[in-house]
Amino acid sequence: MNYKVSEEMSVMEKLGILTDAAKYDVACTSSGVDRKGSGSGMGNTVAGGICHSFSADGRCISLLKILFTNECIYDCKYCINRKSNDVVRTSFTPDEVCELTMGFYKRNYIEGLFLSSGILYNPDFTMELIYQTLYKLRREHRFQGYIHVKAIPGADPFLIQKTGLLADRMSVNLELPTAEGLSRLAPNKHRKNILAPMRQIQNGIKSSKNEIVLYKNAPRFVPAGQSTQLIVGATPENDYQLMTVAENLYEKFELKRVFYSAFVNVNEDKELPALPGGPPLLREHRLYQADWLLRFYGFKAGELLSEARPNFNILLDPKADWALRHLEMFPVEVNRADYQLLLRIPGIGVKSAQRIVMARRSSFLSFPDLKKIGVVLKRALYFITCNGKMMYNTKIEEDYITRNLLTVKEKLPFDKDGITYKQLSLFDDVGFTMQPNIIDTHKAVLGQM
Amino acid sequence: MEEKYLICEDSLEGIFTGIYKAYSLKEDHSRLHIQIGEEENLRLFAEYIPIVPDAGTAVRVSRTIQRELGEETYISICRALASMDKQKGEAVYKTVVCGLQMQNGRQVMGNLTNPYVHKVFELNRGTNNEVLHLMGFLRFQELENGILFSKIGPKNNILTFLAPHFADRLSLLNFVIYDDIRGIFVVHPASKDWYLVTNAEIDSEMMENYSREELEYQELFTYFCHKIAIKERKNLNLQRSMLPLRFQEYMVEFRK
Ligand code: SF4
Repeated sequence: MNYKVSEEMSVMEKLGILTDAAKYDVACTSSGVDRKGSGSGMGNTVAGGICHSFSADGRCISLLKILFTNECIYDCKYCINRKSNDVVRTSFTPDEVCELTMGFYKRNYIEGLFLSSGILYNPDFTMELIYQTLYKLRREHRFQGYIHVKAIPGADPFLIQKTGLLADRMSVNLELPTAEGLSRLAPNKHRKNILAPMRQIQNGIKSSKNEIVLYKNAPRFVPAGQSTQLIVGATPENDYQLMTVAENLYEKFELKRVFYSAFVNVNEDKELPALPGGPPLLREHRLYQADWLLRFYGFKAGELLSEARPNFNILLDPKADWALRHLEMFPVEVNRADYQLLLRIPGIGVKSAQRIVMARRSSFLSFPDLKKIGVVLKRALYFITCNGKMMYNTKIEEDYITRNLLTVKEKLPFDKDGITYKQLSLFDDVGFTMQPNIIDTHKAVLGQM
Repeated sequence: MEEKYLICEDSLEGIFTGIYKAYSLKEDHSRLHIQIGEEENLRLFAEYIPIVPDAGTAVRVSRTIQRELGEETYISICRALASMDKQKGEAVYKTVVCGLQMQNGRQVMGNLTNPYVHKVFELNRGTNNEVLHLMGFLRFQELENGILFSKIGPKNNILTFLAPHFADRLSLLNFVIYDDIRGIFVVHPASKDWYLVTNAEIDSEMMENYSREELEYQELFTYFCHKIAIKERKNLNLQRSMLPLRFQEYMVEFRK
């Protein structure tokens, strides 16, 4: 093969550069697949996902997350690898990636590989290199652990198909929720080129599932499903737009996960917001909470936000916020309410709702029982009754409950190391002026493809 | 009538034998208790009965639990008994009693309002969480002779729950996992079944004879962990809460 590899550079140096360049991409190994080892290779996969370490930013390390190359012919404004940046460029060889993966995996450093890439020469050339790497890893090294790989937009569908038969998960990053955002910050990318491979992968997954019903040993295409990533806070879209896009991706493209990545301004481009308070971590957190509500709690984006109220409450999590606006539904009798309704009560999660349903078969539940089950009473008490009685004599009144909920400190994953609430709320102060049109979001994502 | 304490060895065998004995006394279960290890706080007006673990008896009890309370409950009970908690014997005993009195014993673990069931539920979860943590946090080091060696310091006695995962994952490799707290090993010979070794001495010199590549890989991974962090998001408290120091102690990337 003939592409430039800087011969002088050690694997250690390459690893440094190509990890650094890959770190903003979010991925995780959960909601994957259970696959037992075959006894003839190395590796298995675990549906729940496994975290192998945690980096200094508190994020889980589960995959060898690297770029194949940080060379790129494109010039996305938010990206450290854009062609106009003056950074050291390098590429792995397929063999180097295989050796690192195997060496890390057998020492139990990682759950598998997450291979992304800048675009070297053209999309096909890059996709071919990725395919070769996966082929070697699966066939020569008999690696059976988890592989998440990027589909390069614009690459030959045939190459994407071949690669998908070797990977567990594939993703194409939408990056920006609206077509305007995309054309402004990623002038070489077009929404159509991103949605085309997404649709292809969706169809590939569907037909692979059908084939497996027919022939048990048919090769599986992207068995752990498809994911994507949205950058939060690089463009002025509001939370309602982001959630609507996410909802459409789940419903229309059957994605397994949408990841949200708080924008980190690496290039200081004038097109990009300065974010003096650092990356919008609180906003990212609220989006993940809401995403969770869409996937596991039966909420719709339109219930959580609206055009009149397009952003999440900074002070309250989306579920508490929803409950406060629907006080007419409360209090709920825990000993009778159905599962779906239990899920809507602040302080009750999926697990505690399941336990309530199970435990009330054998006895009537009291408040101390609920506590044992794992219900967070400090939050739930305003919304529930046990045997017709509330826990204390509390008023069902928005201001009153809000005030009380705010005294219960919410556990935020990031409010410790010196990042204060004040700084976090700065994302509100960035001062975007442009207000993109919401209809466009729908059209763009649904795209008449 | 005075209370009776059955003093059992801290093992599946010991506690199951104790449960068998408790039933054979044919007394009110509320007056019978299972206590692990020594008779610590001797109570006046209590009788202490030392129980000699018996494999045959224990197997009968385990079969009864599996048959009457179901496989899933049985696994929960085994995990609870792997816990370091000293009240686990009593909790398991009373959970079995509760289950056998229920119309459908298989639902016993749903009965969370019963304090003993709740305790077993909690202990099971604690052990299981530690197993899940170590599935990720455990590190192997490759020795000169090609064996992968790992040393861990788990709170609970989890080796037997951890071993199947790695035996499946690394089935073609030789590996050893050493429980530093209890001095027991899991040994997995390539392509064969794994087994447990107790009362063995560890040749500490051999364990530090690394393969040619080992230190290089440790360095590569440490460097990777350093590079993957986003400095604008730095949050050491979050890191520590997700990955407690007691695990970090055994992990190559945190070695100074
Ligand atoms: S295509 Fe854009 S986002 Fe991807 S590596 Fe190139 S410049 Fe970065």
